[in-house]
Formats: sequence, structure tokens, C-alpha cells
Amino acid sequence: MIVSYGEILLLAICLFFMGMICVVTRRNLLMILIGVEIMLNAAGIAFVGAALRWHSLDGQAFVLFLMAVAASEVAVGLALIVYAHRHSGTLNGDGYNLMKG
Amino acid sequence: MKTTLIILLLAPLLGALYQIIAGSRFPRRLAEVVSCAVILVSFVMATVAFFLPGRPETILLYNWINVDTFSAGMDIHFDALAAIMTLMVTFVSSLITIYSVSYMDQDLDYSRYFAYLNLFVFFMLIIVLADNLLFLFLGWEGVGFCSYALIGFHYQELANARAGRKAFLLTRIGDVGLGIAISLFFVTCHSLSISTINAQAATLSAGTAMTLGFLLFWSATGKSAQLPLLVWLPDAMAGPTPVSALIHAATMVTAGVYLLIRLFPVVSRTPEVLLTIAIVGTVTAFYAACAAMVQKDLKRVLAYSTISQVGYMFLAIGVGDIIGSMFHLLTHAFFKSLLFLAAGAVIHALHDERDISRMGEAVRRHLPVVFLVFLAGSLALGGEPPTAGFFSKGRILLATLQHGGMVYKAVWVGATCTAFLTTLYTFRLFFMVFTGKPAVPHQGFIREVPPLMVWVLWPLALFALFAGFCNLPYLQAGGGWLSRFLATTPGAVPDLQAAPSLEWVVENGDSLLAIVGLILAYFLYGPKNILGWRTADASAGRATALLLSGFGLDRLYATLLVRPYEGISRFLWHTVDESVLDRGLLRSVKMLPLLAGGLQGWTTGLLSTSLKMLVLGFTAFLVFLAF
Repeated sequence: MIVSYGEILLLAICLFFMGMICVVTRRNLLMILIGVEIMLNAAGIAFVGAALRWHSLDGQAFVLFLMAVAASEVAVGLALIVYAHRHSGTLNGDGYNLMKG
Repeated sequence: MKTTLIILLLAPLLGALYQIIAGSRFPRRLAEVVSCAVILVSFVMATVAFFLPGRPETILLYNWINVDTFSAGMDIHFDALAAIMTLMVTFVSSLITIYSVSYMDQDLDYSRYFAYLNLFVFFMLIIVLADNLLFLFLGWEGVGFCSYALIGFHYQELANARAGRKAFLLTRIGDVGLGIAISLFFVTCHSLSISTINAQAATLSAGTAMTLGFLLFWSATGKSAQLPLLVWLPDAMAGPTPVSALIHAATMVTAGVYLLIRLFPVVSRTPEVLLTIAIVGTVTAFYAACAAMVQKDLKRVLAYSTISQVGYMFLAIGVGDIIGSMFHLLTHAFFKSLLFLAAGAVIHALHDERDISRMGEAVRRHLPVVFLVFLAGSLALGGEPPTAGFFSKGRILLATLQHGGMVYKAVWVGATCTAFLTTLYTFRLFFMVFTGKPAVPHQGFIREVPPLMVWVLWPLALFALFAGFCNLPYLQAGGGWLSRFLATTPGAVPDLQAAPSLEWVVENGDSLLAIVGLILAYFLYGPKNILGWRTADASAGRATALLLSGFGLDRLYATLLVRPYEGISRFLWHTVDESVLDRGLLRSVKMLPLLAGGLQGWTTGLLSTSLKMLVLGFTAFLVFLAF
């Protein structure tokens, strides 16, 4: 293996935190969704790396599932965002506070 | 036999189900025909079963409860007693159902009425036929419910609904006794089957037998309106008149008597129980006869007389003559339901006028047939020879006199006085309704009575006059036909074996008393109004006012029981519930916002906050897992 498993994990962690920071700091719903996708893919990279490291295809198979899940999640998430935008005319996540107690 | 009995029992239930499910969806005529048809089917089946051989027979319909050693089946015990009672119940109820068709002609709620009526017959047949006490209890509560529902049938008026509730609650007090008795039977006899219990009655310990006897008597007083639980029956007259005739004269109020007869081997184990039954029966009979002397409401007179006559049945049980009791039960069912139905016709014709001081000659002129059958019923109730009432009451009086002991002699004197009073109030009623000029004439015209309502009175009138011949005392050794028929009932004494001279004296004394009573009633209350009692205002004198209110028993119960209960309820309601609980709760509720204030800021409802919290939460979770 040219790249060691530790480096792959480092990349995954970097990506994951970048995604997380994106999710937490951005207000735009689209950006939050993209952040979530990045976090998911970071997890995917960790899986692929682990599969290479232990010579087991389970991790790669998992990534296939992960992609399917991510795709459907994006589909649903985007649909919701489009609906929310039509409904209230804003993409700002803090514009929605119907759940306020 | 088995099929016959099952059809006999289930036909009224099917009728009731039809009325409940489809009664008001199909034409009215169909509902009427169905309700009459199912009862007639029952009656035919009862007649068939009466003549079929193979009595006594016990049939298990359905294994109801089966737990461990406890088992209660819905089973039927068809012996001579049940046979004759079934015949009476189905006969009277079929006539009354036919009568109801005309009587309820104007009522829009006919399907509810017929549903309850059919259901009542079903439950009554359960009481009559049941071998298992728990099954009997089902019928016992069922008739109580139907009685409640039918007394308050016109529930739009508060008084009717109140009367129904009163009847329900008071009979429930008695039913508690039956419930305890059933539990006790299970503990001591390990069975709830009446035939088994009767077979084991001799092996019960004295204390248990006494407790059971008193408990059974207690439950019977509630159902049969005896002292002290009788105040519901006069008020129960709020129901439609056919209901009064069926439930509160012929069948349900005699259920208590029937229960005591069914379990007579247990009841008769203890002389004290029998003595109590005899005394309570006589006192009730006397009490109700006195109250009936002054009542102005036509149906209330009959209600008090029912209480009084049921008192005689209790007396007969108390002196150990269950055949006499059963005999009086049968004849009473005929003449009292006849009187009620005839009274219903009069009330119907006078546009719901019940005050007898407003009736008179005009009623007789317009309703000659009703006059005749009412006369037949009055003769029977008054115990005039040779009607049915004369023979059945005569037998009870003879049995009482024959029973040893000074107490029983005193009871006999009381019962004889009551018989005299019975004649008096019966003919007071008769003369005031059908003869003379009313003090305050009824306003308005007298309308026609539908022919159907008059036709059904004839069979009852015939039975009221001639049913006594089924148990003539002199003709045969071993008693009359009814006595020999019922001889197999446990504890029955078919022949009283009185000395002929004693029998002669008692019978003739009774006849003389009844005739003197009739003549006296004519002088006191007759059309000529010779002594002026007829027009006397019953509520004027203090004594008569006391009698009018039934010795103020209602007021006594109100002061002793109802008021204190209301007082306690009000205290619990206002003080405990409203002041302490409610206010305390409200105070503590006010504390909550203080607690919640701190947390309120956290729920911003913003997406960003949720996400931040999610990240924080997950981090904390992972850190926790890591270490």
C-alpha cells in the first residue's frame, strides 16, 4: 500500500471536521446539506481505507450502501429545501423556528 | 325436551335483538308482530314442555366459567315448580305484550320499549329455569336493569327517571345479599347448582344455614318490595301501565318469593329465619294494606296492594307452606295483572287521569267491559268466595293458624285483619272508579279503548275467577291438583292435614270477613256516599296524611340515609375536592413556570442550535465511549 492507513484516516478526519464545521456554522440550508454529504463521504473514505488495510471487501460493500443512502438523502433533502423555499421564500435555516417552545 | 326448553328461553332474546338491531328500520307493524310472536312462541314451548314427560330434567346449555375447582354452567333445571312458573310467566307476558301494542300506539319509541319488554321476559325465564346460582344471578340483575329502564321509559320527565333510579338502587341493596350468599354457597357447598345445594342443605352447619337463610331473605326483600326495602314500588308506577302489570305485579316482584321457594331446604333449616320471614311478611302486608286504604292514585293503590299480597307469599314461606305461597303467587299474577291492565284501560280512556276521586259512573257507562273484568279482578283480590284469591289466601291463613306457637297465632290475627283491610281497599277502589258522582269531575271526554286492549283482559278475568279450582282443598285427599303437581318440590307439604272442623271454621270465617268487608266498603265508599268517607279529603287529617305517604317511610329514609349521605358528599366535594385538592394542585401548577423558565431559553426552535447540540451530544457520547 502506497499510502498508509493512518494517512487515510487523517484525511477522513480532516474531511469530517470540515463537513461538521460547515454544518454548524453555515446558515444556508443548501450548504448544511452539502456539509452533511462531506461528512458522509469522509466516513466512506475511512471505510475504504479499512477494507484495504485488512484485505476484506466488507468495508467497500458498505460504501456502496452508503452512496445509495446519501443519494436518496440528498433527493429527499433537496425536495424539502425546494418546498421550504417556495413556502417561505428563504433558504436561511434560522428563518424556520416553528419548533420554538 | 331439550330443544323445546332452548327455544323457550332464546325466543325472547332473539326478539329483543331484532328490536335493537332492526326494530326502527322496518315498519312499525313488523316490530309489533315480532315482539308478540317471540313471546307467543315461548308460551307455546312452555305449554309443550309442560305436557312432555321427563321432569325433572337438568340441561347444560353452555359451560360458562371453568377455573380450577370452580365451575359455573348456564344450565337449566326444569322441574314441576319451574314448569308451572314458566307457564304463568309466558302466558301473562304474551297477553301483556299484545296489550302493549295498543297501549304504546302513539309512542314513537316503540322499538326501545319492545326490546326491553322482550329482554325482560328472557331474564325472567333465566331466573325461573336456572339451576346454577350464578346464572340465576345474571337473570336477577337483568330483570332489575329492565325494570329500571322501563320505569324510566319516559325519561324526558325527571320524576320518571328518578323513580327508575330509586328502584334500581334499592333493589341493588338486596342484590348485595344474594351476591354474598352465592359466595358463601360456593365456600360451603363447593357448588352453585341449586339441586346440589338443596341435597346438601341438611349437612350445613347451623350457623352457616342461618346466615344463608337471612342473606337469601335479605335479597328477596329487595326484589319483592318487602319491609324495609319497599319504597321503590309505589314510585315505580311512573312506568307505562303494561310494565307495571308485568314487572311490578306478576313476575319480577315475585322473583324473591320464587328464590326462597327454590332454595327452601336451606331457608327452612333455621326456625328463626322462617319466623322472621313470616313476621316481616305479615307486617309488610298489614303496612301496605293500610297505606292502600287512602291512596288517591289508581296505580298506587294497586302498587301497595301488590306489596301487601307479596307479603302473604312471604308469610306462607315463613310457615313452611311453599305450595300455598306458589298458589298465591300464581293467582295473584292473574288477578293483579288483570287489575293493572284494566286500570291502564281506564287511564288511557281518561287521557292519563289517575286520580280516583275524579272517576265515577261515567267510566262504567263508557267502558262496560272494563267494568266487568275489573269487578272480576276486585273480587279475586278482595278474596270473595269462590274466586282464585279466596282459595289461595285461605290456604295461607289456614297454614298459619295450624303452625304451632303463640307468635304464629299473633301473625295469623294480623294476616286475617289484613285480609279484611284488603277487601275494604279493593272495593273502595272499585266503587270510587266505577260508581257514583266524582267529587271533582274529570274534565274532557272519555275516549274509546282499542278493542285489543279489552280482549286480552278476558282470559285473565277467567283465570282470576276460576284459577282457584286447580287447588280445591276439600275434594281429594292429598290436596288439590296443584298441590299434587308440586309435591315433588323439595320441602313441599301437599296436604296441610288440618282438622276438618278447623278448616271449615277458617274457610267460612274468611268468606264471612270478605263479604262483610264488601258490604262495609259499599257503605263507606259506595255510590250513595252514606257515611261521607268517599268525598273526604285524604290529605286533610294527620293520620290519613301519614298513611298517604306510606307512614313517611320515604321521609325517614331521606333523613336517616339520603341526607347524611348528601352531607358527606357535599363535604367531600366542596371541602376536600375543591378547596384542598383542586386549589392545592393549582398552587403547585403555578410553581412550574419558575422551574421551566430556565429551560425555556434552550428550545429556540432554530435549526442551527439543533445541529450544534447534535454535534456536542455526539462528541460527548464518543468521549464517554472512548474512556
